[in-house]
Amino acid sequence: MVLKMGVEAENQNIEKSMIETANNLLKNKEVDVIIGYSKGTVPLSSAPIIIRREEDTDKLIWNNLCYVNLAKYLVPLMPQLCDSEGNSLKIGVVSKGCVGRALIHLAVEKQIKLDDIKIIGIPCNGNINRKRIEKEIGESEILELSIVDNNINVKGKDFEQSFPFDEYLNELCKVCKVKSPPNNESLAEVCVGECLEITSVEDDFSDLDEYESKSTEEKWDYIIDTLRTCTRCYACREACPMCYCHLCFVDQNKPIWFGKTTEISEIITFHLTRAMHLAGRCVACGACSSVCPMGIDLNLITRKLEKIVKGRFNFTSGIDIETLAPMTTFKMDDSEEFMLEED
Amino acid sequence: MEQKILQKDQVGKLYSELSKVYTFYAPIKEKGNIVFKKIENPKDIVLDYLNSKIPPKSVLFPETEVLFEYKLDGKDVEIIDRQDLDDKILIFGIRPCDAYSLELMANFFSFHGNLKDELYLKKKENTTIIGMGCNNPRTTCFCTSVDGNPFKKEDSDIFLTDLGEKYLVEGISDKGKDLIQKLSWLAEAKNADIKKANELAKQAEESITTKMDVKEVTKILESSFQHPVWDEISESCIGCGTCAYLCPTCTCFDVIDETDDYNNKGRRIRIWDTCQSCLYTLEASGHNPRDTKIQRCRNRIMHKFSYYPKNYDLLGCVGCGRCIHLCPVNNDLRVILDKILKVEKKEDEKAIA
Amino acid sequence: MTVQTVDDKSINENWEPKIIAFLCNWCSYAGADLAGVSRIQYPPNIRIVRVPCSGRINPNFIIKSLTDGWDGVLVSGCHPGDCHYISGNLVARRRFAILNELLEFFGIEPGRVNFMWASAAEGERFANLIKKVTKIIKELGPNTKFKKKWC
Ligand code: SF4
Ligand code: SF4
Ligand code: SF4
Ligand code: FES
Repeated sequence: MVLKMGVEAENQNIEKSMIETANNLLKNKEVDVIIGYSKGTVPLSSAPIIIRREEDTDKLIWNNLCYVNLAKYLVPLMPQLCDSEGNSLKIGVVSKGCVGRALIHLAVEKQIKLDDIKIIGIPCNGNINRKRIEKEIGESEILELSIVDNNINVKGKDFEQSFPFDEYLNELCKVCKVKSPPNNESLAEVCVGECLEITSVEDDFSDLDEYESKSTEEKWDYIIDTLRTCTRCYACREACPMCYCHLCFVDQNKPIWFGKTTEISEIITFHLTRAMHLAGRCVACGACSSVCPMGIDLNLITRKLEKIVKGRFNFTSGIDIETLAPMTTFKMDDSEEFMLEED
Repeated sequence: MEQKILQKDQVGKLYSELSKVYTFYAPIKEKGNIVFKKIENPKDIVLDYLNSKIPPKSVLFPETEVLFEYKLDGKDVEIIDRQDLDDKILIFGIRPCDAYSLELMANFFSFHGNLKDELYLKKKENTTIIGMGCNNPRTTCFCTSVDGNPFKKEDSDIFLTDLGEKYLVEGISDKGKDLIQKLSWLAEAKNADIKKANELAKQAEESITTKMDVKEVTKILESSFQHPVWDEISESCIGCGTCAYLCPTCTCFDVIDETDDYNNKGRRIRIWDTCQSCLYTLEASGHNPRDTKIQRCRNRIMHKFSYYPKNYDLLGCVGCGRCIHLCPVNNDLRVILDKILKVEKKEDEKAIA
Repeated sequence: MTVQTVDDKSINENWEPKIIAFLCNWCSYAGADLAGVSRIQYPPNIRIVRVPCSGRINPNFIIKSLTDGWDGVLVSGCHPGDCHYISGNLVARRRFAILNELLEFFGIEPGRVNFMWASAAEGERFANLIKKVTKIIKELGPNTKFKKKWC
């Protein structure tokens, strides 16, 4: 890496080259639409936008509040972009690392065809943990957020507070190893913009050590405390690019599998099964936690999923288009140390 | 005189007196979110807040509510009805927009008196509301555009104004006035206090800058069911349902039967539901009349700004702005209504040309 | 089916755990049968649910059993390589591995849910493992924390 720029300058650079790429794609008719982020109307937000005309590309922005995983707009449950007559639109997606990973994994699961897609790679410099900032500011309205000298400055009617950028990133962004969309031989056609040549990811998951050293009782208490305010709105599911089932397990009612109340065992059942269903599929984008209206942090769980899958199957989701998703396959010699044996 | 003064450090005293008679609900901070909960310790009460994350409708219409329970004994079934409907409820420190929302919900739960939801209505009847003015409305608030204002008093029984060190306490309804009579230890308000309260109310109202011609929106909606503007409006929505789930006037619920086979009992419950979920309108036949995102987004706006006015002659929105600042994709209601307002203009132009 | 679940307060020395066992029809279920006809004694704490293959066991079965108040869960299928449907148990093994780690991560005591292989010929092994499972769960005590509270 060359000289470390300030975050602000970085953002400007990213934005500039992103707009340029998007412009070219539209001009050369390589894509019909571009999905990206535009400026939000409230301070700690950004608004996903679908751009069809070249002259609109200057609405695209990049800042550290672009937390929605745009891959969500391509999954089959989102019908508008997959033309009703079946002629697929060619779509350019502004992709930070995890958006790229989501697109690749969706292709692995045969939900989308990458032929119709251009991954406009951008070197993401992390999303701000806006829920944490909101919680720390408490009951005052934030009116303005700006990044100056690697500090997040937050202003309101009668307060001003500053937070160190690196510390107030999303937990997943802090440990992210794939900041730009992965690119390798099989993806060369798809990736434009800034991508990362990688084939595997190394991670020591040391961020989980603290939690994992807790006793079973402590873990249970922690999980209850984290999840108890869940209102079962399922926004986490709706924002997740990997949640594309037409009938989610939690909605099944013939028969009803799971209780739908806010009783704690039922909340935990939802989150446990949700995690189960995302094993080997979660791309660590953090969208679920970013959208939760109750500010519940689900990142610990998603990190654990990554760790399990990496440890057991040496798999990282959304890196490579050739490798099968781990839960759809098996090996004869998969480890089975957890199986009960006679004494 | 119905205008009294409550010192801020007297809230505990008020609580201990009223909680003898009422189940006392007030805003507390739970894991960083303001929510209305039954108060056990008056120290938990947080009155210095913008607005609650979960609207106080959760007091009368909780996320999970038991309708009745049953027990089986061989072939005999015993139905156990709710026993707590006659309990007296007090909601303390509720914002005017939310107080109004409870009133609006009563419309839905009685449907012109034809279909009465006893559960909600009985509880509503037994509820005393102590509202509190908003000295500092959020920038996303627009109550003044939808028949409200930050110091709208008529939906509260008693109304509080935060004067800094103390609250001005005003009896609004007869119920409220009676209650104030009983609280004989409250000091009389001075003219200066009342004057200050009026000033605060004026300031607050002026600070709300979002103004929308919602009547006009209603009119336009009449004829724009098929308009392409809905494509645009729903484009970025991910259907998370936050906007409806946390809306103070949304009343949709799902009824579920739960059985505890192991103990020969069961219950019927209702839980919150949202029209933004694709299963919401799924019919038993498998047909889903609202199976696209466009239809679902349209329904939310139509319901609040067109069907509600048609059914009850009232708007189905109280302007609290929760859906604006909580929507994860920033699908801002103000922008949506603005787009709708532009619909007619375009057509007008066409008509002229 | 009516199972008397344990009243949370009545934990005493005579307490016996109730364990639900999902057994594959082709092996473990037959193994249980063999243990029976061979008159090998094993604790009576398990209630068997016969499934066509360990691959049929949805993790939901296991989680639901816990929230329904069963004190323990046992899952048993054919040894790897012996599955009647060739690979049902191998796919299931990956699933169980993940579920097992997640349960622990969520703070459910290790040992509440157990997985094993037992073939139709292994009546003795089956009985021994049931003894082991019963002992483990007895030591853990009743499953009160993850059981649904009916208010
Ligand atoms: S978004 Fe948050 S509150 Fe909603 S279901 Fe998910 S964790 Fe629960
Ligand atoms: S579970 Fe959360 S972090 Fe993982 S892919 Fe889904 S939204 Fe992203
Ligand atoms: S909160 Fe926003 S994204 Fe969610 S359903 Fe409402 S409009 Fe759509
Ligand atoms: S048939 Fe026994 S595990 Fe598949």
